[in-house]
Amino acid sequence: MSDVKTHSIDISAMQREQQALNIENEKVCLSVKDLHLYYGEKEALKGVNMIIPEKKVTAFIGPSGCGKSTLLRCFNRMNDLVDSCRITGEINLHDSNIYTKGTDVAELRRRVGMVFQKPNPFPKSIYENVAYGLRIQGINKKRVLDETVEWALRSAALWDEVKDRLHESALGMSGGQQQRLVIARTVAVKPEVLLLDEPASALDPISTLKIEELIHELKKDFTIAIVTHNMQQAARVSDYTAFMYMGDLIEFGDTNTLFTNPGKQQTEDYITGRYG
Amino acid sequence: MKELTTDHISQQFNNELELLRQHFLTMGGVVENQVQDAVQALLDANGSLAEDVKKQDTTVNQLDGLIDEECRRILAKRQPAASDLRMILSISKAVSELERMGDEAKKIANLTLNLINEGESPRGYVEINRIGQMVSRMIHDSLDAYARLDLEAAVKVAKQDRAVDQEYNTAMRSLVTYMMEDPRSITRVMNVIWVLRSLERIGDHARSSCQHLIFMIKGIDVRHVNVNDLSADMSKK
Repeated sequence: MSDVKTHSIDISAMQREQQALNIENEKVCLSVKDLHLYYGEKEALKGVNMIIPEKKVTAFIGPSGCGKSTLLRCFNRMNDLVDSCRITGEINLHDSNIYTKGTDVAELRRRVGMVFQKPNPFPKSIYENVAYGLRIQGINKKRVLDETVEWALRSAALWDEVKDRLHESALGMSGGQQQRLVIARTVAVKPEVLLLDEPASALDPISTLKIEELIHELKKDFTIAIVTHNMQQAARVSDYTAFMYMGDLIEFGDTNTLFTNPGKQQTEDYITGRYG
Repeated sequence: MKELTTDHISQQFNNELELLRQHFLTMGGVVENQVQDAVQALLDANGSLAEDVKKQDTTVNQLDGLIDEECRRILAKRQPAASDLRMILSISKAVSELERMGDEAKKIANLTLNLINEGESPRGYVEINRIGQMVSRMIHDSLDAYARLDLEAAVKVAKQDRAVDQEYNTAMRSLVTYMMEDPRSITRVMNVIWVLRSLERIGDHARSSCQHLIFMIKGIDVRHVNVNDLSADMSKK
């Protein structure tokens, strides 16, 4: 028997690599409990329950007006800025409810950073854009700033493109570069969560791929939640996907399963382009 | 499959899927005829029909290429998801099964020409007739199941393969016994044995194509599941 060649192919390891993720095995970063949100009389979120797993990418998809951006904005209390907005239920960042009285909203927004659809660099130099958040925190030591700016720009896959012109205006950059600069500015203050609201929808396909690649890199250090209208983008970048419709969370599950064999007919109709 | 090819917002996409579906069923029809003709040519010792079966194989190969191309194009252009994706993948695989059934039919036609040239086999035609009918039925029912997206029918066809295998084994035993008794008949009986072997393979391909259909409808892979456990597996989801 000793001369029988045994094939040492580890199928179970290959299967494990392919295995669908399981939300039950994830560490919870944000947990949403029975969240209702009203804009005046209109109920925009109708009792959402879900978790955002730590150091994973969670994508929100759904038609316009389904509440996905609204939900994303709840994670760092951006909806506080809307006058008629009223919220019940809770969102816990790790173990503390961010909607309790006495929450330091500025500190919350440092821990939960946000990037928007249109790149919004400040009319300052590239360097100052990234250093901005640090300066607000009172960090002015040049060495610390230099190090952090470089680290943030490297994290945003932008360093090599801009290292020779750090002190030129950020407004002279391309759209894709500006968006990565904004991401660098957000990560510079070392948040725990990155909220991305349509981060690539104003960019060309190549810049879009760069942002997607960046998201993949960033999830090693950050928990990421992304809203996107581009379903293929959600399928490409995310580990988990939430499908929302008319203020309800219809289906939430691992992306591989959701895009090949969704559990709900509504999800199926939406991702196959049948939603009318 | 009908409902899979409608209801998309993009009418273009509906059309592409509908065309794919039609071409697949057309190819299925050609193969179904080809197999029936192959068996008939053999039973009637009809050389010209056997030649015809060989010619049909060109059509089958062309359809195979065409449908494959359509699948590729849809994948590249539409990035289908969920049931659309499963439909493309299943059809792409089922087309290969059809193409191989066509190849087997062509083999049968060649063997028929051998038998015509070398003289009939003393045994085996009853078995060929019976198994031929069984696999023709399987092909027909599997295409029917595709046309109606009929899960139950697909499971039934997949299970039918077992009966074909049993018939095949029985026929094989009796033909081997016959050859041992009369070694002079071996060359001619071997032609019949190859035919039975091809028919048995056609049954396997019909079963596989139904397994692809089950994947398309339910999203579960039953290729390596015991046929008897199929129904139990089905009800899981």
